[in-house]
Amino acid sequence: MSFSRKCVPFTPFDGELAKSTVALVTAGGVHLKEQDGFNIADELGDLTYRIIPEDVNAGDLMVTHHHYDHSDADQDINVVFPIDALRALQQEGFIRGIARKHVGYMGYTMQLKAMYEGTAREIANEIDKGSRADVAVLTGG
Amino acid sequence: MKGIPTVLITVSPEVSAQMRPPRALYPNGFKIGNSLGKPNMRELQVQVLRDALSLLTQNTRPGKIIKRDYPDYGEYHEPPRVKT
Repeated sequence: MSFSRKCVPFTPFDGELAKSTVALVTAGGVHLKEQDGFNIADELGDLTYRIIPEDVNAGDLMVTHHHYDHSDADQDINVVFPIDALRALQQEGFIRGIARKHVGYMGYTMQLKAMYEGTAREIANEIDKGSRADVAVLTGG
Repeated sequence: MKGIPTVLITVSPEVSAQMRPPRALYPNGFKIGNSLGKPNMRELQVQVLRDALSLLTQNTRPGKIIKRDYPDYGEYHEPPRVKT
């Protein structure tokens, strides 16, 4: 797999968490109930992603993903998308803020090149521009 | 674009290692679908998230996945192995 031969894309962090705003990016197929679900019928996977707003109510989120058991996430989305846990850390002052935008996508695809060169860059741009995030936390399923 | 400092929380450490994540936390024995723990175990979820964020301020080796134990989770699940 070509990924393993690339350099680790390491961005140093020289700030303080207590002064940082955090974005969540999950491959767990998380999206708003009012948004279109991911296309689980296509064997090649779904390369799209969904923007999740900072003020989202955890109960307004759901999972569309057919490659892991998301029954626990159906009860409490925080097991894969820890938005309320993040708010708790903000309340105690461990972090400064919650980013304006978070991202959910379905981390299952047979189109690795398109994911790596297309979707991943688009998601990075969403977080880099307009989310006001200093750091990002990635989760899978 | 200068890049965004990131940290991954993974329950499939061998699979994730192939992608060489800059920083990663593996909560030992958590099952797939439970990256932060079990439903409504908010204290555990907050602790896992706190530990993941803390990796940003620690001198971790890029690509290394840090394993931590969380006894409160109460279960152990073997993570998926990469076929060789």
